[in-house]
Amino acid sequence: MAQPRLFSLVLLTVALGAQALTPSHHLSLSDVARLQALLSQPFTDLASAYYSIVGLSKLGASVADENDACHFLKAQLDPMSVDSLFFAAEASQAISDCEIPVSNETRDILLAAVSEDSTVTQIFRAVSALSSLGLPLASQEVVGALVARIAKEDNVLAITTALQTATRLSQQADFGGILEEIEDLAARLDDLGGVYLQFEEGLEATALFVTAAYTLSDHVDTEPPLKEDQVIQLVNSVFSKKSWQSLSEAFSVACAAAALSNNRFQVPVIVSAQGPATVSHNQPILQLLVTDVLSNPLASASVVVESAQAVVSKNVILTQAPFSLRDGIFELNFMTSQPASGYYQFSVAITGDTRLVASQVELKVKVSTEVAITNMDLSVVDKDQSIGTKTSRVDYPFKAKGSFTADSHQNFAMTFQLVDVNTGVELTPHQTFVRLHNHKTGQEVVFVAEPDSKNLYKFELDIAERKSEFDSMSGTYTLHLIVGDATLENPILWNVADIVLKFLDEEAPAAIQSKTLYMPKPDIQHLFREPEKKPPTVVSNAFTALVLSPFLLLLILWFKLGANISNFSLSPSAVLFHVGHACMLGLMYVYWTHLNMFQTLKYLAIIGSLTFLAGNRMLAQKAVKRIAAEQSSRLAKYRSLR
Amino acid sequence: MSNSVISVISRFLEEYTTKTSNKLKVVDAYLFYILLTGALQFLYCLLVGTFPFNSFLAGFILCVGAFILGVCLRIQINPDNKGDFLSISQERAFADFLLAHTVLHLVVINFIG
Repeated sequence: MAQPRLFSLVLLTVALGAQALTPSHHLSLSDVARLQALLSQPFTDLASAYYSIVGLSKLGASVADENDACHFLKAQLDPMSVDSLFFAAEASQAISDCEIPVSNETRDILLAAVSEDSTVTQIFRAVSALSSLGLPLASQEVVGALVARIAKEDNVLAITTALQTATRLSQQADFGGILEEIEDLAARLDDLGGVYLQFEEGLEATALFVTAAYTLSDHVDTEPPLKEDQVIQLVNSVFSKKSWQSLSEAFSVACAAAALSNNRFQVPVIVSAQGPATVSHNQPILQLLVTDVLSNPLASASVVVESAQAVVSKNVILTQAPFSLRDGIFELNFMTSQPASGYYQFSVAITGDTRLVASQVELKVKVSTEVAITNMDLSVVDKDQSIGTKTSRVDYPFKAKGSFTADSHQNFAMTFQLVDVNTGVELTPHQTFVRLHNHKTGQEVVFVAEPDSKNLYKFELDIAERKSEFDSMSGTYTLHLIVGDATLENPILWNVADIVLKFLDEEAPAAIQSKTLYMPKPDIQHLFREPEKKPPTVVSNAFTALVLSPFLLLLILWFKLGANISNFSLSPSAVLFHVGHACMLGLMYVYWTHLNMFQTLKYLAIIGSLTFLAGNRMLAQKAVKRIAAEQSSRLAKYRSLR
Repeated sequence: MSNSVISVISRFLEEYTTKTSNKLKVVDAYLFYILLTGALQFLYCLLVGTFPFNSFLAGFILCVGAFILGVCLRIQINPDNKGDFLSISQERAFADFLLAHTVLHLVVINFIG
């Protein structure tokens, strides 16, 4: 029985290839507690009582004092209002032993509310109240009214409420049209980054839709038209918010959580590691929590590791290993497979229930270990290798007995090996540093020790070559070895030895120049553009007078030549011409001081055309006069010649 | 050498004062005035510097332009050149002179800043 199912699951995994979507949000136990606390607030009115009582019942909890609650409901009930009846009836159903008194009037009011003329919310509340109070109702009529109202109120909340209403009707009613609405509504969801699926109306609308879809699907025993990925995305949307602003929002989340954890078709499963996903020799057991969205453990599930693959080497360490269930936690002893330290990609499958959604999970598990340093040999080697090396072995965590002295003719060498304490395998951690620290001057120089091909770590310090890093300061330096890695449980800081470094004296600077790298830099003063040098006002004034003086000369010359205006005819065109011309010159001045080109052209056009017309007239008259004068003078000359 | 130059100049002056009509002398006086103004502007620029350069250019170009237009007017109203300008009466020449001056002034005032 399990074999073919497992086989098909394996096929499915292979077929799907890369990672399927898994829920990134759910209600942890603390979230559920917070939700319950919010819903346990004291009641202010009937609506808040309804949200609290029914919400808590969905989470499997109950109100603090049921009797008190029942009394509150009965006291606040207004038998004339459909809403009031709805809240009281629904809440009383959630409390054991609480009956709301029903009268014929009540029934009539509720039945009257079921019609095409009421809003969907009204119909929903009336139908729910009727069914909670045990009163008969005509399901087909309700369906008809709902369909008519959906056509008129085409918004998300109305259709969701209609779906909710349908869950209260008898199973024999014709739900065809209403069931299709689930798929239509699902199409209206907004996909945010492929991770979230929600209505733009917000969290409450999305949560109510989820509740309605699953409740109705259960009621009519038809699988909801939601794909696995859509379900996961809806889970992410509904449970991403961990503090709820209103009681109705908290109520909708509680209803959605209840619907998702307990319906007949699709139950999203949440898989997470208990604590950090790390195993080591001290803690060889990998613990997984497999729960539904309300963090209730799924005891009936069976958890299997399909494959465990090392991330770096791609070796598959484990296939088809089952987890064992202990106290609601699934455990696997990974160290029995003797994995090398590092990261492993686990592909985990949850089976045992056909309803499970997101039952294929990828998990990254770290195997950590402890490192030991072996064969630590320190030596001072002469560069020309003429004098034999003196190697001292030092054991961790002790310090070398004497200090080592090295000067510019020598190299200081260090070799060691890093092995895994448990398996004896050689390790190459990320961080292997050699730190030299001068206590007197506070200098610190860090080098990296690198492994060769046989994983033997070597560090060589060429004194002469590295003198710049030490600023040529001779003195005693303590040598520390630093070993660290994400997969090491015991990072090492080991004071191995003291070294006395001797640099050539003439290279040593007098004092340490403190690094002025982080001191404030000198201020840059902004140089504004200097205005150009102007000549003194006296000079420019003098020259202005000089430049204007030729005009006087002109007037004098004209006077001497006998130019006059005795021929000035006072005809209107002449006057107008001269006035216009003067205006044009004045316009030039005004242009210089006030106007821009466009305004000037405008005025110039007006004045200019007037001046032109007047001038034309005037000059024509003058021309006539001149020609007449010329003709008469010619005539006179001719006559005198005769 | 200088003798001939002086004699040429004195002859020229004599001919000028007797032969040229008054009208032309008036225009010549105007031209001389423009010339002086332009020269003085240039002298200022040489002595004191070209700041502000656009103003200097505007003033100088105005003088040059006015001089040229004045010369054109003189040529066109000179009765000796009547054969070359049959279609252009004296009044027409003057009107052209005024129009050209308007445009020149517009441009110069724009540039003077």
